[in-house]
Amino acid sequence: MLIKQGKKGLDKKFERIPLEDQPGPKSQEEMDEMKMPYEEYCRKVFDVGNEFIKPTALKGIRWLSTTMYIFTPHSVTNLAELGAEVIKVEMPRMGDPMRHCAPFNETYVYPLHDTRPMTGTGVACFNANVNEYYISMDYHREEIKEAFYTLVKMSDGLTQCYRPGTFDRWKQSYRYLQEINPRFISVWGGGFGYGPKIWGGSYDILGQAHAGLASITGFHEDFGGHPTKSTNWNIDWYSGTQITVAILAALLWRRKTGLGTKIEFSQVQAATRCLEYAAPLYGRFGIVRQRWGNWDTQLCVHGIIICGKSDYPDEKNPQLRDEARYVMVSAFNDPDFKELCNVIKRPDLYTKYQKHKDRVEAEAQVEIYHELEKWAADKSRSEVTKILKDAGLLAMPVYNDKEVYESPHFRERGTIRWQADPWYGDAVVHSTYSCGLMSKTPRRKFWDLRAVGADNVKIYHELLGIPLSTIKEWYEKTII
Amino acid sequence: MCDIIWCKKVKEDGTVCNTVNYLDPFNFWNWEGTIACAECGTVYYIHMIQGWMYRGPEEQPPGTKPDILPLYADQPLNGYTRYLPGVEGRTRPYLCLPRDIYLGKPDPRRFSIRGYPVRGWPNQPPSTGIAGSAGFKWEIEKLSPEVWQEFLEKKKKGEVTDW
Repeated sequence: MLIKQGKKGLDKKFERIPLEDQPGPKSQEEMDEMKMPYEEYCRKVFDVGNEFIKPTALKGIRWLSTTMYIFTPHSVTNLAELGAEVIKVEMPRMGDPMRHCAPFNETYVYPLHDTRPMTGTGVACFNANVNEYYISMDYHREEIKEAFYTLVKMSDGLTQCYRPGTFDRWKQSYRYLQEINPRFISVWGGGFGYGPKIWGGSYDILGQAHAGLASITGFHEDFGGHPTKSTNWNIDWYSGTQITVAILAALLWRRKTGLGTKIEFSQVQAATRCLEYAAPLYGRFGIVRQRWGNWDTQLCVHGIIICGKSDYPDEKNPQLRDEARYVMVSAFNDPDFKELCNVIKRPDLYTKYQKHKDRVEAEAQVEIYHELEKWAADKSRSEVTKILKDAGLLAMPVYNDKEVYESPHFRERGTIRWQADPWYGDAVVHSTYSCGLMSKTPRRKFWDLRAVGADNVKIYHELLGIPLSTIKEWYEKTII
Repeated sequence: MCDIIWCKKVKEDGTVCNTVNYLDPFNFWNWEGTIACAECGTVYYIHMIQGWMYRGPEEQPPGTKPDILPLYADQPLNGYTRYLPGVEGRTRPYLCLPRDIYLGKPDPRRFSIRGYPVRGWPNQPPSTGIAGSAGFKWEIEKLSPEVWQEFLEKKKKGEVTDW
């Protein structure tokens, strides 16, 4: 048993150190864990698939989500996946406009609301409002104001996306709400925020455009490229996560001071965060950063090339038949580049561009990638990957969704999985569990969505104690 | 880098067509068939292998139906008159619907690709609660018994899988 010197060390008095303060394992189970090889240890501590038996980090936090589309809803979904109780407030009978967006107007789940039996919720809405309770509320109606303020008193915060000043006009902004709940954290997320463009609304594409991100995405004009937006709403998801970070910091601040915070989040501003060196480059040299497509401005070879043959030549779907031809290749340090040149039987390229600073030049890249694609012209994507990997180089096919779905890596780690949504049925989940693993308090998905107002009784009656007769009356008057 | 068909067809009025039809590598990297000039409609046969013009362009008799139209065309000798992509009857239309499963209208589904039920069709039974409130579970056996039966049948036939 370890002993340590007591306060009066000179008296040579010793006391026992409690087991839990001693270094090393505290139990046989812990000792076994520490002896495990790392891989096995990870499997055990993360225990993918059994997330629901573990506690949640944000249990006890209640959040109001008066949000729409993806950007602001996603900021709250992050909280809900981590265990917060989130109440999503939607317009009566209609719901979040995002419910009415579906890819190519095809993919809906039903029902949306009792009054609209033939209208569904587009699957584009999935992943953005996970684990939330759905109530409906028309803020304009005086009858509902008290219920709204009661919810504020009982909650830790609210995220909203209305135009700047709208909630203030409706007496629902931070300066009003902090008077009834000084611990309240109020978040506004939208397009520009205060400033010269205060009235500007926001969309993901506007964020990508205004921040300068679209101007450096896509191929260079010399290769027929244009400023390009990402197909998915990257900046919505990305900015939403940034808001979540701010909320978690505000919660910590409140723990220290007891006071709430106002968070104001401009989407066009958030997108500038990921522009790397663009602004410093301009500031120092006056150079406007250019697009460089599937290649890299800082490393060569470090890009995506096209191969001549498809991995699925007989498939009906052109996304597989024609597009499964791209490979990411990385061989930028000298020995790797030398090996790559040997593999494609162009050792002269290495002789010509021995130093990285030479081959990263624009003209050199044009020549090198052209030779690589020439070499790959009679090969399929998987052939190219295999040849390069066998040579000890980094190569990876550019996967499409089908291949992501089939990836053993994602399946084993639970990144992608099937889950029976209790309301809408069978669904592939690729969001919640992709946000990193946590051994003690992992994220989890209980449900993706529910119908508009599906939790009206649960929240208005069971939480706020409003009589059922009043709730019925509100419903008939379309207040909820 | 795309190949071109520079149409030199002499038109009825005696002028030369002089239209450059652009064959984008995405569609023409490996391709055999007929293509129409965006300006005069003359049809050419080409055969491209790995981005190289293996055969053609060979002019086809009038009335031959083209398999495809060029992506884009211009007339550089005529002040760059252009046919942008998506000009009807001239350049390849923006269909954006080559994906065989896209329909462009709601596609009601009862089962996922692995065979489990999905609540994907309209006119579901209304909620039983007050003010649109609903339970936490889709009680498929009660609400949609015919789909549940269909699911059991699929299961028997081994059409329901884990992935």
